[in-house]
Amino acid sequence: MISVKNLKKSFGKLEVLKGINCEISKGEKVAVIGPSGSGKSTFLRCLNLLETPTGGEVWFDGKLLTDADASLHAELTKDELKKYRNQHKLNIDIARKKMGMVFQHFNLFNNLTIINNITLAPIMAAKMQRKQTKKLNKLKSQFNVAKSDDKKAKLNDMSVKLYGINLSEYEIMPILSDKEIKLAAVKKASTLLERIGLADKANAYPSTLSGGQKQRIAIIRALAMDPEVLLFDEPTSALDIEMVQEVLSLIKELAEDGMTMMVVTHEMGFAKEVSTRVLFMDEGKIVADGNPEEIFNKPKDERLQTFLSKVLH
Amino acid sequence: MFQDIVKILSNRELVGYIFRGMGSTLVVTVISALIGLLLGFTVAIVKIAAENNKWMKIPAAICNIYTTVIRGTPVALQLFILVFAVFAIPGFKPYAAIIAFGINSGAYVSENIRAGIMSVDKGQMEAGRALGMSWFQTMIKIILPQAIKNIVPAIGNEMIALLKETSIISWIGATPGTLTFDLNAAASTIYRSIPNYLASGILVGCCYLVIVYIMVYIVKYLERRLRQSDKR
Repeated sequence: MISVKNLKKSFGKLEVLKGINCEISKGEKVAVIGPSGSGKSTFLRCLNLLETPTGGEVWFDGKLLTDADASLHAELTKDELKKYRNQHKLNIDIARKKMGMVFQHFNLFNNLTIINNITLAPIMAAKMQRKQTKKLNKLKSQFNVAKSDDKKAKLNDMSVKLYGINLSEYEIMPILSDKEIKLAAVKKASTLLERIGLADKANAYPSTLSGGQKQRIAIIRALAMDPEVLLFDEPTSALDIEMVQEVLSLIKELAEDGMTMMVVTHEMGFAKEVSTRVLFMDEGKIVADGNPEEIFNKPKDERLQTFLSKVLH
Repeated sequence: MFQDIVKILSNRELVGYIFRGMGSTLVVTVISALIGLLLGFTVAIVKIAAENNKWMKIPAAICNIYTTVIRGTPVALQLFILVFAVFAIPGFKPYAAIIAFGINSGAYVSENIRAGIMSVDKGQMEAGRALGMSWFQTMIKIILPQAIKNIVPAIGNEMIALLKETSIISWIGATPGTLTFDLNAAASTIYRSIPNYLASGILVGCCYLVIVYIMVYIVKYLERRLRQSDKR
């Protein structure tokens, strides 16, 4: 699902990621651990391009998110490079709709109520989708009345190029009104709020909530977009100890539901219990990669041993 | 002096000057403020967009030159250049002056708006982007509504400064009945009938004070309204 090839990131002269390679498949729950400054967060933030990588490629669902790798820039001609991008590249805003992210500091929108925090992005996404549906419907109806095969082929080419959809298989879809879109989003958000037991906070502002509540809402805000993968960037590091559990148990629930996730965390117990795979990073590289059993009980790497002896005691 | 003030106030023609002057001052201030706000807002957005969009680098460089030049030279000089050189069209003087004030104000306003936007936590933009919203969508829906609280007091200040700056408009020649005949020009004209500058000065000064006081009140009201969403 996510494929990372020789990912590099520098901030000025400081090289934070020194070539990361990894494949994450659907359903995996990956915990990323490592000492502070090892590049865990930067790695995660490079996956949805909140940080622009300085080298390497990130692929998501077979589509390229980053620019082509530097080696390709050297190898290919300008036209070939353009073709490569056209063929593989996916608009990052589209990719991000499928990659939810949860931040250390929650980052709820302070100017919006909880319900609006959750529904804002889904409503905007639905409206964008509607624009596309309108255009596709128009193309399809033109396609239906087109007399010559030539014209049909032309319309189909256009549709495939713009939206990746074959007109002969496409059915005209109903166009939802603003109100219907909003209603659907609110309904979904309410269900999610009920699930975490915060339905009564729907009209409250973020500033009135506790850290644990904020983080759980941030999680369902990401869920409301129906993401294929969730990225957690130290989701409990900014929480008071008594609130850590409520957030972890929600993440655990999602993991049990089969959500693909990647969690940068300092909670070793959580990593051990919930993850199906653990990545240990040190100095900008993945040093160890294995299941929790291998990583925590039989650590082979020396740096991993030192790290574990520090954090587990 | 008191007698002179009474004399001015009981003379219909002279009071008329004050009212006309006040009208001009207000019109010039409001229009140039609108130009300044529009310009300042655009410049601020371009400058901030340039931070992570390479296509905005050249527009941002132009904006930087604009703010540097405008803030680095006297407003009177800008007024003269625009009125007597750039827009040296007969009958266009007052409008050229308004444009000059608008351009001048825009430079300061842009910095106020930029500072306000920068004061919003970076995480807000990241959260919006991570949800698949575009930079512009997040800016409009999330960042600006939060920035406005920090922008309003600074803009209020700038508007008050602008009101008083427009008093130099009569330097380009004030004829009663045109927009260049502002409060300041009214004071000089009244002086010709009643040669006591303290009297006409105090009267006109009071007019400025009243306008400024009303502006301060409006800004305070807006501030209070905007702060309400902090609590709740």
